Amino acid sequence: MTAASTPAVPTRAWHLARPGRLLRLELRRNPMLWMVPLLAALFWYGVYRPCLANPPLWVLRAATIQSHALLIFAPLLAGVAAWTGSREGRRHTVDLVSITALPRWAAQLAAWAATAAWAEAVYLGGTAVVYGITAHQATWGGPLWWPIAVGAVGVAAACAVGYAAGALLPGRFTAPLAAVLVFVALGAGAIWIEHNGSYAQIWPLNVQGPFPDDSYGVFYPFLPDLAIAQLMLLGGVMAAALGALGLASARGGRWLRGLAAWLTVAGVAAAAAAIGLAGTARVEAHGIVIPALHDAASDRPVSYTPVCARSAVPVCLQPAYAAMLPDVTATLGPVLDEITGVPGAPVRVTQVAVTSMQAHEPGNGIAFGGPVLSGHPVTLLLPLSGLTLAGEGNTTAAQFSQQLRTQDAAILDALVGLASPVGPQSGSSGAVIVPADLSPGAAAQHAIVSAMAKVAGLELGEDQIGRQSAGQRGTGPPPGPQAGSPSSASRLAAAERFAALPAAARHAWLVTHLAALRAGRVTLSEIP
Amino acid sequence: MNIEITDVTRRFGRTQAVAGVSLDAGPGVLGLLGPNGAGKTSLLRMLATVIPPTTGALRLLGRDPRGYTPRREIRRRLGYLPQNLGYYPGFTVTEFVEYFALLKEMPAAAVPAAVAAAIERVDLGGKARAKLRTLSGGMLRRVGIAQAIVNQPDLLLLDEPTAGLDPEQRVAFRALLRDLGQTATVIVSTHLVEDVGAACTQVAVMDAGRIVFHGTPAELTERGEGTDAAGDAPLERGYSAVLAAARASLRASA
Repeated sequence: MTAASTPAVPTRAWHLARPGRLLRLELRRNPMLWMVPLLAALFWYGVYRPCLANPPLWVLRAATIQSHALLIFAPLLAGVAAWTGSREGRRHTVDLVSITALPRWAAQLAAWAATAAWAEAVYLGGTAVVYGITAHQATWGGPLWWPIAVGAVGVAAACAVGYAAGALLPGRFTAPLAAVLVFVALGAGAIWIEHNGSYAQIWPLNVQGPFPDDSYGVFYPFLPDLAIAQLMLLGGVMAAALGALGLASARGGRWLRGLAAWLTVAGVAAAAAAIGLAGTARVEAHGIVIPALHDAASDRPVSYTPVCARSAVPVCLQPAYAAMLPDVTATLGPVLDEITGVPGAPVRVTQVAVTSMQAHEPGNGIAFGGPVLSGHPVTLLLPLSGLTLAGEGNTTAAQFSQQLRTQDAAILDALVGLASPVGPQSGSSGAVIVPADLSPGAAAQHAIVSAMAKVAGLELGEDQIGRQSAGQRGTGPPPGPQAGSPSSASRLAAAERFAALPAAARHAWLVTHLAALRAGRVTLSEIP
Repeated sequence: MNIEITDVTRRFGRTQAVAGVSLDAGPGVLGLLGPNGAGKTSLLRMLATVIPPTTGALRLLGRDPRGYTPRREIRRRLGYLPQNLGYYPGFTVTEFVEYFALLKEMPAAAVPAAVAAAIERVDLGGKARAKLRTLSGGMLRRVGIAQAIVNQPDLLLLDEPTAGLDPEQRVAFRALLRDLGQTATVIVSTHLVEDVGAACTQVAVMDAGRIVFHGTPAELTERGEGTDAAGDAPLERGYSAVLAAARASLRASA
């Protein structure tokens, strides 16, 4: 133990460099650094793989990143941050760190920032990889940043909550408790959102409520209303947690206490306001709208040049779905071939945005419309959203085509006049309406649909005939035949007769009788 | 005077840890002696601004620590080694000392040199990159001393600094204390009377929360002369005599 050294003279530059050195030190010795490999592995398993298993639609991948990353990361981050936050209590350094000139709150914020920085590095690095790959794979569009921002603030908020818990209640059990509580909170949000269509939308894992992930952000801009509210909530929670930390540790400094109090109150207010705003959310055609946050410019459709297949009846899709064009064309082909040239039959198939409306039952189910015949010359407006796309989850191209065949049936329904023009169907329960009392005209319509489906290779059971839905053929029990209505057997017999006709004969009959059939003026006995 | 203590008390619930202490100290090394529970650590924690006094007045480095701004200024010029040193096992010696240099708001550019100097002064230069978890108890104590002196404090408070040090290190540490006492006010709380005799210019003896003696080591030695007080060394006998007299006085006043 030897002689003294020379004191240094402080300058402004040195004052600015100090926080940087402190942060660098915290980064080097932060427990989160040791968790980086685990976080990266979890990101690969729980986020990267599901993202890459999805078709290369930006919106699908952005939504997967937000919901999966937060679910996987948040509990773990809260636990590790709580462990870091409880460091002073566990290691009995409170006396030492509480008598230093730098406010203890500032030192704690540096430790939290280092914790969050490592977590953000994994999250944002992983996101960059997914987005980089998507940029090479996607056929249209660009990266969506709102879901990524929600995820990033969620990561920081989980670290803040965990760190504050660890610092305020230091102990060896604080870390696991914090992790479990965050996990339970996320789980409770999942249950809450099942029973509440408005306030619960704020749940940070929720991207656009009940909408399928490929049903928004393509034909219309991604509606950021809910994401803004979620950012307010998560930012508020983060601010409140960090403010509470300051209130507990900023003994003596009036302006520090004031700042901590202001931060806490502002955080709580922001979180409460976000939940309040979510309470005003409503499901509209292209996403969740929060009136106070809504920008009307988001309601204007996105312009694009469709990609079309050169078939007898051209099939045109939004370019983001270009990879699915061959499957869609091949699946619709047999039915389109059957009806080509028939008056009222579509001369073109165009993909459109999903049409939806809030369902009436409790909860937050929404209804989706099926394909619609519209315009002159007639165009089949075909929404693909709501179907599970090939590559989405474990869905194969064959399974996707199988779903599309239900659209075939809906096309036939529409052609013979069975489908309603817009046709909102239940999207949440899957229940569909089966006419209890078929009129003679309706029975003939069903018989023709059944026959043409058979010819086109569609497998429609008798109980499916007459259901109005396209895409949501469901599970409702068929009612029994009523007195006076044509029997099921006679409908089947008429369908068999019609299907057995030569293609030219069927076509000729449809050309001459379609108008009457649509008007319900054809009976089963008139079907050749 | 760097330390001006006027009738300071400190209570912890029903326990009176410090019962009306008045003490002034300028540059030099002040040894704080006393039996277990005498109130030494509580007094040191008040001087370190860890806890405020229950009553009484305290001025440190010419400032009143009750105000936030003066307290912060005091803390910039303060070094403190607590009785039970907490540490972060994953930090290296350099990182731990650097951490506290930054918390003491040392200019960032001056930190590396100051850290290296402090580590050298406690003879841990060879262990600068060692993780704290790998160090012995005595080495950890020296790390604690290094973090306390890294900012070259004007007021240095050391609670049992030689606990765990081997004889060679204790000798070196006493030399360090004498060196530090040239410019700063150093208060060393200890049970080891020989440390006081070797390094301190002043000594105060505490018992039952009170200062019962304040003078030089030589004066403390004189108190034991001609008495049958227990102790192997003159200073120990002086210490024992002071304590015995203080306790007799307390019994008489009760």
